[in-house]
Amino acid sequence: MHEMSLMGQLFSIIQEYISNYNLERVTKVVLKVGEMTCVEVSALNFAFKSFAKGTKVEQAELIIERAEAISECRFCGVKYKVDFTNKLCPNCKEFNYNLISGDELVLERLEGE
Amino acid sequence: MKQIDVMKDILADNNKIADSNRKLLGNKGIFTINLVGSPGAGKTSLLEELIKKFKGEIKIAVIEGDLYTTNDAQRIEQEGIEVIQLNTKGACHLEANMIAEAIADLNLEEVDLLVIENVGNLVCTASFDLGEDIKITLLSVTEGSDKPIKYPIIFQKSAGVVVNKMDLLEHTNFSIKQLYQDLRNLTENIKIFEVSCVKEEGILEFGDYLKERIKTKKLANGFA
Repeated sequence: MHEMSLMGQLFSIIQEYISNYNLERVTKVVLKVGEMTCVEVSALNFAFKSFAKGTKVEQAELIIERAEAISECRFCGVKYKVDFTNKLCPNCKEFNYNLISGDELVLERLEGE
Repeated sequence: MKQIDVMKDILADNNKIADSNRKLLGNKGIFTINLVGSPGAGKTSLLEELIKKFKGEIKIAVIEGDLYTTNDAQRIEQEGIEVIQLNTKGACHLEANMIAEAIADLNLEEVDLLVIENVGNLVCTASFDLGEDIKITLLSVTEGSDKPIKYPIIFQKSAGVVVNKMDLLEHTNFSIKQLYQDLRNLTENIKIFEVSCVKEEGILEFGDYLKERIKTKKLANGFA
């Protein structure tokens, strides 16, 4: 359940923005979570609810956008989708794990009043 | 309504501390491994064997992560090695700030190799950079050869995999061939070491690999 630790870090960032922008309440939290991160969406949702309880974030909607894992071939420069068991460039058939997307764990946007 | 574009990495704080750990250890020419594996795979046993065979050649220090006990640290201490126990009090992984505190308490002078034994867990440990040079994942044959595809992230992030309890291989349905194939699909250049801590086999090959890495690290940081 490291999603709890992640949520702890996320909430300290959110708190910082609440005070910097004088928010009364947060209405939406948008996260981007890459396919290659070891993060479980339902565990994130659960952790979010626990942390939000009794705070200015309690009514907020949590939106989790998944980012596809894309690698750039170091030989031919082609960008292609990779998964855990297949990382071969479709063009030159070489193994590549040069992620340009897919390992994000980012707080993208906050909405509030 | 206010809409704020934040674009902030949730793990930024952890990663910042990890980078500063890496810098501090690098300045001292210390090669650091983050040793990961399931509970009971043999992480502490591997360390004990490594220490027994290499303590004359490599100066080793250990940070032991554990939820509540000091059992593992006591085992390492018996080998005459400097060890710091970290109790996570239930947390399933170590984080960079815990390592920063431990490093402050360790005598790092003349240390060649720092081993951070993580909490026994193949999932959560994958997300947190501690400031190590490489991750080594330990897998025992009794766990089954499908672990790399079931827990791909930690294996994908590892420079090497140590396969322990090879002495029990014939009593299991573990497929070494499948393991090699799956690991190479996950990450092409991963090193694989077959060992038996009980029979004291394969430890020298693993230790020699670490010695090479230590040497390279020292050279890169201006240590002769």
